[in-house]
Amino acid sequence: MNSEVQKFDLMILGRGAAAFSAAIKASELSNGEMTVAMIGTGPLGGTCVNVGCVPSKYLLEVSHSVFRPEHPRMAGILTTRVKYDFLEVMDGLRSYVAHARDSKYVRVIENYSNVKLFTGLGKFVDKKTVMVSDSDGNDIALVSGSNILIATGSHPAIPNIEGLKETGFLTSDTIWELNGLPESVAIIGGGAIGLEMGQALMHFGSKVTVIEALDSLLPQTEPEIGSAMKKLLEEEGMNFYLRARISAVSSSGSGKSIDVITHKGKEKVEVQEIIVATGRQPNTQYLDLEAAGVNTDSRGQIVTSESMKTSAAGIYAAGDCVSKKMFLETLAAREGVIAVSNMFGEDLRIDYDSATWAVFTSPQVAGVGMTENEFSKRNGSCSCRVFSLENLTKASIMGETEGIIKITVNPNNNTIVGMHIMAPNATDIITEGAYAVRNGYTIDDIIATSHIFPSMSEGVKLAAQSFIRDLSKMACCVE
Amino acid sequence: MSEERVKLRIYGMTCNDCVNTVSRGLKNQDGVLDVKISLKDGTGEVEIDPVKVKPEELLKNKVFEKPSHYKATLVDQ
Repeated sequence: MNSEVQKFDLMILGRGAAAFSAAIKASELSNGEMTVAMIGTGPLGGTCVNVGCVPSKYLLEVSHSVFRPEHPRMAGILTTRVKYDFLEVMDGLRSYVAHARDSKYVRVIENYSNVKLFTGLGKFVDKKTVMVSDSDGNDIALVSGSNILIATGSHPAIPNIEGLKETGFLTSDTIWELNGLPESVAIIGGGAIGLEMGQALMHFGSKVTVIEALDSLLPQTEPEIGSAMKKLLEEEGMNFYLRARISAVSSSGSGKSIDVITHKGKEKVEVQEIIVATGRQPNTQYLDLEAAGVNTDSRGQIVTSESMKTSAAGIYAAGDCVSKKMFLETLAAREGVIAVSNMFGEDLRIDYDSATWAVFTSPQVAGVGMTENEFSKRNGSCSCRVFSLENLTKASIMGETEGIIKITVNPNNNTIVGMHIMAPNATDIITEGAYAVRNGYTIDDIIATSHIFPSMSEGVKLAAQSFIRDLSKMACCVE
Repeated sequence: MSEERVKLRIYGMTCNDCVNTVSRGLKNQDGVLDVKISLKDGTGEVEIDPVKVKPEELLKNKVFEKPSHYKATLVDQ
């Protein structure tokens, strides 16, 4: 190894969404003059494109294409059994991921001659310098940066359950290697990742059981949505154990056996495969952050200010390795831009309150801002309405009325502080909620804004109107 | 009066006119005592009175604001 320190204007630890958005922003702001070192392991693009949003949405879309013709919702449409080849589906998925990684990351970064990639694990030796080592642990480069961004991302958290490691399991990192559809699957964790993977496999034909420690699904959203989603998934055939603890996991013939404890007692769940979806933990353990003076919280996540500054001068952090509530590719990219902009003297701050999040089940779930409980706890009181899609013409026409739109407002001024939606295209119509929360719109602003009839987005307007009138006594043309 | 030396990495300078423009801009900032700029390295050494100006405030100097194409970051904070 060359013992000379390779000096850069900006050193980025990581090569995912936050790292790429930061490197590109730095290049734009400096007209390509800023020398950037990007240090990391694993495929370029990080979690989202390789093992996160992209493959999971691909699998979900294919699975819905299999499921929907077999479960028609409109009069006159006969049940049609869809033939599919699961191996070809997975090959198609892997091929698409490779294409997306190549076109959106590998070829993109090749256009930036000011960015130098280092493949290896970075570890701080002091506040400005990192030793990069290869997969065998050999030191390969000593790199320093005038400014530093830590964007090392996260990986699936694995609970400490007796026999789990020995028995074997899949995670959201490894499920994409599947070539055959498991006949039955137990998913440990009833959050967004667990429900997405569970519904996708169930729509292909797997028998799916979800085991969740809490007493509800999707804890980040409104309880009405968690309950409605559980009811819908149960009707589709998913089995749930809520407020459940797993005491042990073991091999059982060609399958796997899980000892589940609930208030009803102990039960054995026999499945072919186990998927662990119990959250994610930051990739900070190998960085030696103490050497750089960077503080972390009790979970190892890096503590930052709203301007993405860490406790160490000149060191910023962005993405899943940061201490916060939501771990999203979109937030990571925004945080990367904010960190770099602030290195150039700007004063940008991250706005988590108007950040949208989504679960790509069918129907989808999406949210922005606070839930009723969150706002009530912070302010003592709130005002909210729950609008059922049963009262929405477009949903009735589509035969997809299992959903709700819940709006929470500040009762002092009627500004919208939260919107949570379960609807076929919740991920699209939540943007109206994002505008409302970010800009402090009131329910009157929503009502006064034109919405297409009949459309799913009209549901947002009707949810707003439900604050001022009884919708059961309202014709559909009333403004 | 106390003095502090701040090192800047300055982007966008292509000729001596650029050096003069950036140098003049920084010297006009309250609390800036002296400015030395290297076109070759794209760097600047700025002596400041830390009571009157913080190092980060140099980055907000008008010479680094749009529509100017010059930008700067702090080095060795």
